[in-house]
Amino acid sequence: MSPLQSGSQEEFVPASQTELSRFIAENAAGNHRQLFPVGGRTSLAVCCPTSQTGIQLCTSQLNRVVDYPVRDLTITVEAGMRIDELNKMISAEGQRLPIDIPQSNRATIGGVIATNTSGPKRFSYGTIRDYVIGISAIDGQGNLFKSGGRVVKNVAGYDLGKMLVGSLGTLAVISQVSLNLRPKPQTISMVWFQFDSCQTVDQALEAIVTSGTRPIAVEYCNAKAASQIAAEARLELPADQHILCICYEGPENEVHWQANHIVSEWNQYSPLSVQTVVTEEATRLYNAFTEYQTSSDDPVTLKAILLPSQMMKFIEMATRLNIAVQAHAADGIVFGHLPDSASSLDDVQQILNQLKKTIDPKTGYLNIYQCESEWSHSLPLFCSPPAGWNLMQQFKNALDPEHVLNSQRFNELVEI
Amino acid sequence: MVDDTSQTINLSAPVLEKLEAGSRPFSILIQKLTGIVGKTDILYNADELLVYECDGYIVDKSVPDIVIFPTSTAQVSEIVKLCNEFNVPFLARGAGTSLSGGCLPIGGGVMIVLTRMKQILELNLRDRYAIVEPGMVNLHLTNALKGTGYHYAPDPSSQGACTIGGNIATNSGGPHTLKYGVTTNHVLGLEAVLPDGSVIELGGPTAEVPGYDLHGVYVGNEGTFGICTKAIVRLTRDPEAHRTMLAVFQTIGDATRAISEMIAEGIIPSALEMMDHGIIQAVEEAFHFGFPLDAGAVLLIEVDGLEVALDAEVSKILEICNKNNVREIQRADTPEERMLIWKSRKQAFGAIGRLSPSYCTQDGVVPRTRLPEILEFIEQTSKKYGLRIVNVFHAGDGNVHPILLFDERDQGQIQLVLEASEEILEKCLELGGSVTGEHGIGVEKINFMSRIFNETDLAMMERVRNIFNPRQICSRDKVLPPHASDNSPKVSQTHPARRAPH
Repeated sequence: MSPLQSGSQEEFVPASQTELSRFIAENAAGNHRQLFPVGGRTSLAVCCPTSQTGIQLCTSQLNRVVDYPVRDLTITVEAGMRIDELNKMISAEGQRLPIDIPQSNRATIGGVIATNTSGPKRFSYGTIRDYVIGISAIDGQGNLFKSGGRVVKNVAGYDLGKMLVGSLGTLAVISQVSLNLRPKPQTISMVWFQFDSCQTVDQALEAIVTSGTRPIAVEYCNAKAASQIAAEARLELPADQHILCICYEGPENEVHWQANHIVSEWNQYSPLSVQTVVTEEATRLYNAFTEYQTSSDDPVTLKAILLPSQMMKFIEMATRLNIAVQAHAADGIVFGHLPDSASSLDDVQQILNQLKKTIDPKTGYLNIYQCESEWSHSLPLFCSPPAGWNLMQQFKNALDPEHVLNSQRFNELVEI
Repeated sequence: MVDDTSQTINLSAPVLEKLEAGSRPFSILIQKLTGIVGKTDILYNADELLVYECDGYIVDKSVPDIVIFPTSTAQVSEIVKLCNEFNVPFLARGAGTSLSGGCLPIGGGVMIVLTRMKQILELNLRDRYAIVEPGMVNLHLTNALKGTGYHYAPDPSSQGACTIGGNIATNSGGPHTLKYGVTTNHVLGLEAVLPDGSVIELGGPTAEVPGYDLHGVYVGNEGTFGICTKAIVRLTRDPEAHRTMLAVFQTIGDATRAISEMIAEGIIPSALEMMDHGIIQAVEEAFHFGFPLDAGAVLLIEVDGLEVALDAEVSKILEICNKNNVREIQRADTPEERMLIWKSRKQAFGAIGRLSPSYCTQDGVVPRTRLPEILEFIEQTSKKYGLRIVNVFHAGDGNVHPILLFDERDQGQIQLVLEASEEILEKCLELGGSVTGEHGIGVEKINFMSRIFNETDLAMMERVRNIFNPRQICSRDKVLPPHASDNSPKVSQTHPARRAPH
């Protein structure tokens, strides 16, 4: 069967890295059609691609385990391996990749790396960039290259894996990856605090800096988001004010001690209510937090990247604008789902302008994370250009000189 | 004016040679550079330059033509722009602790020493970052944080001397890498002067920055992408408590099996360091820690975290050690005892002088489970070449540091050490590892690059380097093997390196 399939969109499904490499090389040398790497198709709207006319490069058949030396706590897999499958395999050995991944039944490891997907646990464990120890990928001319290796410590050559993390398939198609794994924790517990104002939330967050506990995640959500998250977790939790939910994991006695200790530490900020959620319910609640950041059907999802100390000012304004807000609060990463009432481009633009006033342009970013495709031409992906913008353009030109790889992503980048 | 200056300058031999060769006279360059930093912050006399002929990699030497000490980013930028104008190669240097020749000024040129840029520009505990200048000594940052509950996690063994800028250049590791990661895991952003003299910011103090992770690519470039002039680094909470112990094993096999089982059981110690029989003897003779002289290996094991959980973790470790025939375990009950245990590890290399007049340390890595094989191979290699080899290394990371002992007055031994080192590193590759875990490629391991990576991999790395450094006058001939057609001066290894294990 020819690997080129046609349906609503042409699709190429390579069975090997070599086949994928040859296909891209032929395209680059020939008709220069646009190529869109896809894994589980869970993040197609991320960074608002304006169109996808071309060929999808589907990694579904690049899904093999290359090497799993269990006792080394490392694994090498092909990029199309689905996260649930990966998790199932390593979980059986008491191991995990400590990255929160929404829609893990569909998402692939290549896609997670390309989108730099992360969630609440990033506060304690970092992001996928911290776990990629080796990578293979194919650039826009079909060159299959690798960097790093399969050992946890290695400084031979440049770290090209970092270049590909979060690059949205615009520089190269990730084909294989070696990952560092961690042991699975014994148990998990979450403490759900309700506060009456952004000010008290901010005070509690500041106290995290010197807390006697070591949370793995500190999640904020306003009432609008909180009620949806609690409902998704099928839990009856107070959700009509500002919520801070703090998560602990590890040995049972340690988790129990920390969950109790944070309640006594935060007592001075007069939370309206406190509820501790454990075991299976805690896992459900945690998953609801993980899914919520990208699961919204709202027309526009914003992502703000702020210093934690400056975050609540932004959140206060967003809440006033009726935006459902979730934040990885100790990291200053905020997701905002715009209300249905923002029904025109003008409405969205006005909301963006209001929010931008609360951000210090030297240390904060506001981006359109995903939006309806008919608006993607008109909304600025980045409200302010990130550091190194011109260099990024040079990376694009060097790795994909024909601009055949996913050029609708980071479209401002390509158009410079 | 220019002529006057040139008459008063005492030019070194290499500079004179270049003057005679034509191009624009160095005397003008020196005059202009002096105008940037002042007369006291530039060296160009032959005897003064000699100090900078090498870094911690002392095998090959190359004297810079000019050494200059800027105190600001603006000065670095101006210096680099001048080097471009005069087409003179340049490179950055921190404390010079690189162990692979990263600071070797191949072919001379201008050495930009950053040790006078050593200020802490910002400490921000609420947002968990610090902004420092590149010449800041690693340990000084952690010292400045004492009492705040935070520290800077990457801690190379040379942390009392090495600089943050150098750590970024080489993506330094250290004894606590196993749990806390290497430098790249702790760098949020940086400012750099690119090889054309432009100043750029990559990343920033926020948890991430939109677009490509360029500061991630920059870390570990070994000085070939430009000169880091500011670093934004993540601060890490101090652990509430530690448990530190020394486990004495009869054989290396028992010790490595214990390591493997700990990791498999889900225990990630904050440090897991091994010393073998040869090192134990040297250390014991020098410092009298009370190690049994007939022991095969000693493991330094440290776990950290919340007090409430540590004893249970220690119990598990003891159980695993017992299962693997541990002879005895010494535990540190006080901070003083902990420091003493760490002293036995950190001063191990200092004791090597008792064993041999010269030594050469390698920096191979293997998957943790292959440690018994590489250690066995090292022992065989020792026998094969009639060379004594001892080991002190980061066992938890699979990063071995075989130390080959020899007498540099004996030319025959020098050749044997080179051949034995090569075989050991080849074996690391064969076992699925790498030839450098933390020292870097520099000039020392450049010949290995084409054995680790194929032509396409190297071409991609070259493309990336050329984005930053298209003319290649910044720290030239490092990391990537030069093309056969290049006319630039080459460095070939003619002597074993004598270096401190990290």
